[in-house]
Amino acid sequence: MFRAIVLIILLAAAAWAQRGVQRNTNPLGSSPEVATAGRALYNQNCTNCHGLDATAGDRAPALAAQRSYNRTSDQDLFDALTKGIPGTGMPALGLSTDDSWRIVAYIRSLRASAADFPPKGDVAQGEAIYNGKGECSTCHTIGGRGGLIGPDLTNLGARSSVRRIREALTVAKPHPPAGYRPVTVHLKDGSMVRGVLKNENNFSLQILGTDDQLHLLSSNEIERMVRDDASLMPSDYDTRLAAEELTNLLAYLSRLVR
Amino acid sequence: MLRITLLFLVAHVALAQVSNQDLLNPPPENWLTYGGSYDSQRHTKLDEITPGNVKNLQAAWIFPITSTNRLQTVPLVVDGVMYVSAPNEVYALDARSGREIWQYRRANGLNRGPNRGVAVFGNLVYVGTPDAYLVALDARTGTVAWETQIAKTSDGYFSPGAPFVADGKVIAGVGGGDNGLNGWLDAYDAETGKLIWRWYTIPRPGEPGNETWAGDSWKTGGGGTWLSGSYDPELGLIYWGLGNPAPDFDGDIRKGDNLYTESVVALDLKTGKLKWHFQFTPHDVHDWDSVEIPILVDAQFNGRMRKVMAHADRNGFYYVLDRETGEFLHGTPFIDQLNWATGLTPEGRPIRVPGVEPTLTGNFVCPSTSGATNWMSPAYNPVTGLFYLAAKEGCGVSFKGRQEFRPGGFDFKATGYIESPEEPWQMYVRALDLTTGERKWEYMQVNAKSYGAGLISTASGLIFGGDDQGTFAALDARTGAPLWHFETNYRISASPISYAVNGHQYVAVAAGVNIIAFRLPDTN
Ligand code: HEC
Ligand code: HEC
Repeated sequence: MFRAIVLIILLAAAAWAQRGVQRNTNPLGSSPEVATAGRALYNQNCTNCHGLDATAGDRAPALAAQRSYNRTSDQDLFDALTKGIPGTGMPALGLSTDDSWRIVAYIRSLRASAADFPPKGDVAQGEAIYNGKGECSTCHTIGGRGGLIGPDLTNLGARSSVRRIREALTVAKPHPPAGYRPVTVHLKDGSMVRGVLKNENNFSLQILGTDDQLHLLSSNEIERMVRDDASLMPSDYDTRLAAEELTNLLAYLSRLVR
Repeated sequence: MLRITLLFLVAHVALAQVSNQDLLNPPPENWLTYGGSYDSQRHTKLDEITPGNVKNLQAAWIFPITSTNRLQTVPLVVDGVMYVSAPNEVYALDARSGREIWQYRRANGLNRGPNRGVAVFGNLVYVGTPDAYLVALDARTGTVAWETQIAKTSDGYFSPGAPFVADGKVIAGVGGGDNGLNGWLDAYDAETGKLIWRWYTIPRPGEPGNETWAGDSWKTGGGGTWLSGSYDPELGLIYWGLGNPAPDFDGDIRKGDNLYTESVVALDLKTGKLKWHFQFTPHDVHDWDSVEIPILVDAQFNGRMRKVMAHADRNGFYYVLDRETGEFLHGTPFIDQLNWATGLTPEGRPIRVPGVEPTLTGNFVCPSTSGATNWMSPAYNPVTGLFYLAAKEGCGVSFKGRQEFRPGGFDFKATGYIESPEEPWQMYVRALDLTTGERKWEYMQVNAKSYGAGLISTASGLIFGGDDQGTFAALDARTGAPLWHFETNYRISASPISYAVNGHQYVAVAAGVNIIAFRLPDTN
């Protein structure tokens, strides 16, 4: 039984690792020189529709911005600009293969997410810490499984950078971000609700409870409300975990892509 | 542990899970499916708002969704939480205030077709997407639980209809019929998103019905599944209206009846096997999709109780079918301007008038391609025994040409139509006797020339509907007299719903760019 579990974990780790590798298939590599050449080519060829320096243009979306992307691998981006996107305003551009790869390197350098260049480490052990010692799965979901009070981490590797993930685990935020302010509400009927504030104004509150249920309250039902200044997200994982455990956890988290 | 239990034994817990029982017998305060209940009667049992007090109805809140200017979403409400959608977007709102709880946005979504709403089951909310995925979201956070591809995006399909949940299966369909893309209906496991069965709307070679397509024309025959359906749990059958054949206006290259386009089909929910079909417009050349929601009623017909289905078709006829067998029981036009058929045969087949087909130079046809009714849902009130619908009077000129099919989701209509400008286009709300189709009353929506809202009926005897002027109105279900109205001043293209929170009844509708909820003032 134990061996079966180890095997499954190893297979899963191999699958993750492979996904990480498959994202980086640019034959010209990802050096700054290639990306710089790509930038010039991009600004010559793409700005009729997309914006200058991969911002949003009049007729096409930003290719690098604070958002997640459908196409995150080298190959998917290469296909988009060599074949176009059928049924949309994105045409095949007819550039040479090398120039196309240069532009891909440029777009990737702007986005550089954790999953683009994931750090080394024991991914299987990282996953074990996620589900065990770190207690992450009690508050976060991956692929629809886990607790609801924290943000979904299914696509974390693609939408965040290694630096930002490490900070989330080790540096306390001055304020909990919007949608995650912890509150305890004492109601006039004597009951109590604890959770994070999804929305509020003078007249109503929408809370996701630590019971993973929604609580929709009118202000006139409330006796007293206590807001916490600290996020529910623990920020002491650099002391809670050994250095190697944290490295492995980061290796695992960086490879989380949808 | 005890403390935790006590902590949450409170009345404010929104969203208990939606169970099979809930879907079979929806609690009146919740609106759980596109049609309000499996029979799609859109008849709420809530009766706080009455013909007597409706004059006091007022807007409770507004929630704008600015990514589209023509919302077609039918809101769902589960225990005080409302779910609404637009292409690539879903929102959860506090149904008392419209305050947002969460939103889901599909990154880089394509822009194909409208979105007509979501489905709910368990702790999940289901939505179809413009790139033809079915996405399941956690109802409490909007987080993706799973997503599954209904069709290859690059083939040009999209999924605009509200998914439909029955017995642990999510039924979802596709749009793309006007592009020559053949449709199908899928059943997915509601928990995992795994495909359970697929039923193709255009029979393939060797399947019965394929002979109703000349040559290879079945390959690009259309037959979209872009709205939602109804379900009879006793018979275990789901009913779905199917879209038009392609190319829409050029019938010469697809001689034959072109099954199962413009039919309603009854499928075994368990297996996806076809139990029966009824085709409203065989070999159509006017793009008269038959997707209009079928309403299921158990009613006296010729002296005996029968399980019937009532369907008002885009082709201008109102039909009553036996929903166990598909037998045609009765049919009659619900519009006055109809020139393409003189009536229906005893089997329900239209008796065609020759010479109204589209031509190169254009031909006059009533109703026009936009049809006598469309996706806006009809309603049925079991007390009045009346079937209510949005009906359009007017004619058009239809043209045909030759067009080559291009894979990837490109227009394959073989030209189109115009609505002759000199025609007095006019929208009505009409009430028909369920079994005879006889018109009992009509309410003219003055200056409304194009499609507006669908309808709901209330136990207290009201009909709510709206028009392309943006007027949202309450009518007396017995007479059609207008009793209340509210000017949204933006074209309404969706069907309203009703729900209750803390014992207060609301009526809500997507109007242009806004979701608007109405209720009576507290002092009422
Ligand atoms: C004629 C206008 C046009 C030109 C020129 C154009 N694009 Fe696009 N592009 C679009 C549109 C429109 C989209 C959005 C497609 C959609 O709806 O998904 C798009 C989408 C994309 C995407 C997909 C975005 C994602 O994250 O999935 C990539 C990558 C892309 N373009 C790269 C390029 C590059 C690189 C060039 C120049 C070599 C270029 N495009 C030139 C119109 C254009
Ligand atoms: C007690 C609940 C709880 C636990 C345990 C927890 N988190 Fe969080 N986490 C949260 C909440 C709430 C937020 C959002 C507020 C914030 O960022 O401070 C969050 C935010 C985050 C973020 C940043 C969010 C983003 O979307 O970029 C990351 C990354 C993260 N957590 C990872 C983890 C990992 C890895 C673990 C386990 C080692 C963990 N969390 C344990 C509740 C928790």
